[in-house]
Amino acid sequence: MKKFWIILSLGVAVYGFSRCNKSESFPANEYDDRLSGGVFTTLDASTQAFKQPFGGMTSRQQVVHNIGDGTFDQVFVAAPAPHFGGLGPVYNNIACVNCHRNDGGGFPTLGSSNSGMLMRISIHGADAHGGPLAAPGFGLQIQDQCLLGTVAEASTNVTYTDVAVTYPDGATVTLRSPSYTLSNPYTPLPAGYLLGPRLAPRLVGMGLLENIPEGTITSFVDAGDQNGDGITGKANYIYDTYTQRMEIGRFGLKANAPTLLMQVATAYQQDMGVTSYVQPEESCWDQIQMSLVGSTDESPELVDSLLNYVTFYVQTLCVPARREVNDSINRHGEALFNQVNCSGCHRQTMYTDVNPAINLSSQRIHPYTDLLLHDMGPGLADGRPDNLATGSEWRTTPLWGIGLLQVTNGGTGYYLHDGRARTIEEAILWHDGEAAKSKQAFMQLSGTDRAALLQFLGSL
Amino acid sequence: MPRILIPAVVLFTLALGSCSKSADSGSNSETFTQIESDVITDFVNKTGLPQYDSLVAAGKALNTAITNLNTNTTDANLAIAQADWRYMRQMWERCEGFLIGPVEAYDYDPNSDTWPTDYHQMDSLLGSGNSLGESDVQNLPQTLRGYHPIEYLMFGEGGTRTASQLDIRKLQYLVSLSSDLLNNNVGPLLNSWNSAPVNFSQAILTAGSGSTTYTSRQAFFLDITGDNGMAGICNEVGEQDQDGKMYNPYINKDSSLTESPYSGTSLTDFKNNIIGLQQVYMGLNGGKGLKDLVAAKNAQLDQNIQTAIASAVSSFDNISGSGGEHYEEAIFDKRMQIQQTMSQLNALQTLLENDLTNFIKTYVKD
Repeated sequence: MKKFWIILSLGVAVYGFSRCNKSESFPANEYDDRLSGGVFTTLDASTQAFKQPFGGMTSRQQVVHNIGDGTFDQVFVAAPAPHFGGLGPVYNNIACVNCHRNDGGGFPTLGSSNSGMLMRISIHGADAHGGPLAAPGFGLQIQDQCLLGTVAEASTNVTYTDVAVTYPDGATVTLRSPSYTLSNPYTPLPAGYLLGPRLAPRLVGMGLLENIPEGTITSFVDAGDQNGDGITGKANYIYDTYTQRMEIGRFGLKANAPTLLMQVATAYQQDMGVTSYVQPEESCWDQIQMSLVGSTDESPELVDSLLNYVTFYVQTLCVPARREVNDSINRHGEALFNQVNCSGCHRQTMYTDVNPAINLSSQRIHPYTDLLLHDMGPGLADGRPDNLATGSEWRTTPLWGIGLLQVTNGGTGYYLHDGRARTIEEAILWHDGEAAKSKQAFMQLSGTDRAALLQFLGSL
Repeated sequence: MPRILIPAVVLFTLALGSCSKSADSGSNSETFTQIESDVITDFVNKTGLPQYDSLVAAGKALNTAITNLNTNTTDANLAIAQADWRYMRQMWERCEGFLIGPVEAYDYDPNSDTWPTDYHQMDSLLGSGNSLGESDVQNLPQTLRGYHPIEYLMFGEGGTRTASQLDIRKLQYLVSLSSDLLNNNVGPLLNSWNSAPVNFSQAILTAGSGSTTYTSRQAFFLDITGDNGMAGICNEVGEQDQDGKMYNPYINKDSSLTESPYSGTSLTDFKNNIIGLQQVYMGLNGGKGLKDLVAAKNAQLDQNIQTAIASAVSSFDNISGSGGEHYEEAIFDKRMQIQQTMSQLNALQTLLENDLTNFIKTYVKD
């Protein structure tokens, strides 16, 4: 009998504690809707809105964040150099910030220091871990810049064709449909190669996304579309070459990076030709470019601590607050956002895990993503599979901060995986596949309602 | 009018007069609004545009001097080109007091002022047979364009360059570098302020009245004060961590980490950055500056800011001393003076980021 009471007491205690953790018991309407990133929200809505650090950091963390910030902005040069050598032999850009302008998005151009887009490449098939199969002589990315004395892998080109879209009410929008080609390859391109353009994404709230519990992400999967809304979603799983484990993918436009450490290290390696302890091999290590520059030094080019600091910097960037949350049009637009089921993928609210390394307590956040892959239809497909992502599947883009992209990007915003959309409206009109129903519902709205929905998105 | 009514009328008039006292704050408020407009207008017409005009003029002079150097490669012509480069740097560093708008949005800053120089690549370029026309230079990475490659070529290691060391390739590269700087950078930068399609002057002048860039006058004042403006340049120069332009070479005792190591003008660069800040705050060419805005409501704050700026500007002279010591040497023997300047810059930054920002948020209400 005594055992019974002990077990009962423990049961009551466990139940009681579990009730305490039910954050939702706090009514949703008592939260401040502006706080997209929980306590890690910034009220800054200026050109620097995406660059604001977490509050509450220790002085040491602030130093680390600031050094990471400086390194993020740092231009790399050819070795040998006393400082920040190691660029190339082939690369796409010379500094992180050149693609992530003001920590926001890039310009959808290719092949210069001012470009924010690059081209992934692979051939049909999968590697030993299910990842894309490297194109012989090119690897997984076309590096279209190079050090003097060696050769770039190829030139990358984009051209656009106008496509008119007409709403049922007669209003029209002109989309631009891109076409990508390679020219001047340094060696013949493999037959049937697959290309995938990638525009640098904004860095908003990356540290928070990294700490969304895996169970939360997988709970959004609706395999077989049980609720009949046309949306299924699936998680990507990636082999992390550093931890040597399969991990859920969170970052990258096809969710092909499991952690920010891997994302940052791979960007240094692939985009800038700068090796590190996480990615110790040059992107062109087995190609002629290595011998042309005569490099024999195989030690990491980025100091270990600097890689960690840049990662910490990206992890500790705030989320801009929503603006004008009580504006009646924005409220109406928000209701329409849910009504046409944009929120079926762009999930509004979730909770982070706790992570003492970045002072993160469990935060109620509004990223407007489920971090899952969705089929977006043939119009957006790059036809290049990446781990579990098919050629037409893309990770749901987090929408927080999207309304400030023009502000941080010099007055011009570019949207979608390759920046083809010049406005949020154009981006919506490119949606298809699992998002087809939502797009159609959006198009059926009156002009006033469409404007309200767009205004709501602009407030994020 | 009955006599008894006269005092009543007088009292009534006085009462109305005192009523108009409270309307005075309304009238003050109107005056303050007028000051806001004046400061914005004068910033564009008497600070921003004239400064960029001068920058373009300096770019033309440098291009002409380098062209002359190419034609007649003498030490005298090299000295003229070096002087013109120094002057253009002075103008540019002062323009960095207001890094708002196109200068960052369209990469005019990183396309012209990226450092460290990639001298290994520059030597490779010079040693190669690659074309060195203006359009070729325009397509080079940022580390091979702009002020600092020109500096490297014209001054050389330790500033010891002589005309006889300038071969055909170096001269050709120099000519194209200066043309690129003029035609593809400072020229278009000025155009982006005074003509379509960007017309950034209009974006500022219509702040709060139709500007999509600045939906309120407050937004403009916060921008010119914040990370892209006065506080930003203060931070860039004086920040006491590895990102600081002064601190990094100072703490590492490494002169190769300075911005302009070949010409030895790093210290002048720093000082001109803060003078640029001062010009924004004080106004230039007889125009109003932010000081007029602040003084109208809080004379003490205005005084504090003016004093902090002036003190920071003059503190650079303690580092250079009477002998005009370069920063590249000062990091070894003027460490206390450098620390004092950085502390003054930190204090000024705090004043701008906290007090001035709060002032703007409190009083500029539109």
